[in-house]
Amino acid sequence: MMKELYFALYAIKKNIQSSAELRTSFLMNIVGMSINNTAFIILWGFFVKSVGVIGGWTVADIIGLQGFVAVCFGIVFSAGAGIRKLADYTASGAFDRFMLSPKNLLVRIATSSFGVSALGDIVFGIVCLGIYAFFIHATLYQILLIVLLVFISTILFLAAAIAIYSTSFFFTDANSVTSGLFELFLTPSLFHGGAFQGVMRFIFTFAIPSLLIGALPVEIVRDVSLGKLLLVSILALCWFIVSINVFNRAIKKYESSNFMTFGN
Amino acid sequence: MKEIRLATKILKTLVKDRIQYPDKLVVDTIGVIARCGILLILYGYVFKLNDGVINGTTFLFAVWSIFFYFSFSVLRLRDISGEIMRDIQTGNIEVLFSKPISYLSYRMWWQVGSGIYSFVIITIFATLALIFIMGLPSTMTMSIFIPTLILTFICGAILSLFLYSIVGLLSFWIEDINPVFWIVDKAVMILGGSYLPVALFPAFMFKIALWSPFGASQFVTHTVYETWQINWYQLVGIQLFWIVLLGLVVYFMFERAKQKVSVNGG
Repeated sequence: MMKELYFALYAIKKNIQSSAELRTSFLMNIVGMSINNTAFIILWGFFVKSVGVIGGWTVADIIGLQGFVAVCFGIVFSAGAGIRKLADYTASGAFDRFMLSPKNLLVRIATSSFGVSALGDIVFGIVCLGIYAFFIHATLYQILLIVLLVFISTILFLAAAIAIYSTSFFFTDANSVTSGLFELFLTPSLFHGGAFQGVMRFIFTFAIPSLLIGALPVEIVRDVSLGKLLLVSILALCWFIVSINVFNRAIKKYESSNFMTFGN
Repeated sequence: MKEIRLATKILKTLVKDRIQYPDKLVVDTIGVIARCGILLILYGYVFKLNDGVINGTTFLFAVWSIFFYFSFSVLRLRDISGEIMRDIQTGNIEVLFSKPISYLSYRMWWQVGSGIYSFVIITIFATLALIFIMGLPSTMTMSIFIPTLILTFICGAILSLFLYSIVGLLSFWIEDINPVFWIVDKAVMILGGSYLPVALFPAFMFKIALWSPFGASQFVTHTVYETWQINWYQLVGIQLFWIVLLGLVVYFMFERAKQKVSVNGG
């Protein structure tokens, strides 16, 4: 386990060094993505201004929501950008070289690529969560909750990403399927959390875990709700176990294309 | 004549390709459901909480306005930036420059062709579904609606192509245009009336949407409102102004860009 972790950290370090070689592009990607993400805050901020407070959600909560989602997205798709390339790897036969590696398959795939722009998401997310904590006058307890929830949400996001991209093994050219499924998961997570009520809230909590990575963490911090924290933690654990199982079953579907490629 | 033949050939080829490989249609359909469908359900709830009227606008108008934005986005005209960047990064631009066709014209028609099949199918089915579920606002049954909708749609498409081509052409000078693309794209998203319909914009934001090329490229979302009957010619005029201005920018940028290309052979 520790060896795998060391390997993952080493691969991430090398990926960052490689990406940082193009310094201007590297920095522009980070800054650009941070600016890009503020669009959602502007949009939903104006939404709250026009429509009023819905489900107890204020502009501060919207900032918190964007913060949680951006940090999760950033952590998973910066260090583990390889997961997003799974469909390409399987379609092109490049997956062969991962299977031949003595390292843990999932870690090897995830760390095979690095998403520079996702670092911008992390920066943006941390700033948003800082502003959110300031706006709600967060107590030490709430700050600790934010840190804990970032960890739980990231595991959930990772699990959802693994499950979605594992479908790559079931289709000939799965890029369109995985893109569609990922959009179905991510887009609602960026929407105003207070507007999800009744059946919609149920669907996007239990069937598609979109609300678990942003909306519910915000409500947990705001209301200091231990019941919801327990629910999110249990669902995160379930999703993680299920996604690993889905991945392990899915790779059995892979058929080698006899492409011989070497290196990363 | 040569231009028309080129356009027809590209459109025909790409439509045939999309019919044969419907993957993109699947993605676009899921995308529209994930973004527009869920958003409309949420707005339904929000309008219900506000007794059916927000800022003097009813849910019916908001639905059609948001739908027009997402329907237009299925054309994926914004992807032209990425395509131009890829051509430059891969060196494919050298091959395309050596052909007896205009590169930009080819790229623009290619972009229209690659999205038109999904656009037509999704728009037809979604429009029928919306008419069946929601009905039509009175403004959409007026005689002026269809002709002006088509006019502003075409102007919006040309403007979008010019706007995103400028971003794409920046690849001749900077190595990665993605950060610029994100900012322009989000400006279009905010000012175009995507997640927040234009009728719900605060006054100053509405003015920016009206007078900037980002908002002007999405004037199709304004067509459902009553104000459209009165000021459509003014809005189309703004679109035409931006088309001329951005068209000139594209032309001069492209002329300068051509001088930067060095064909190495091989």
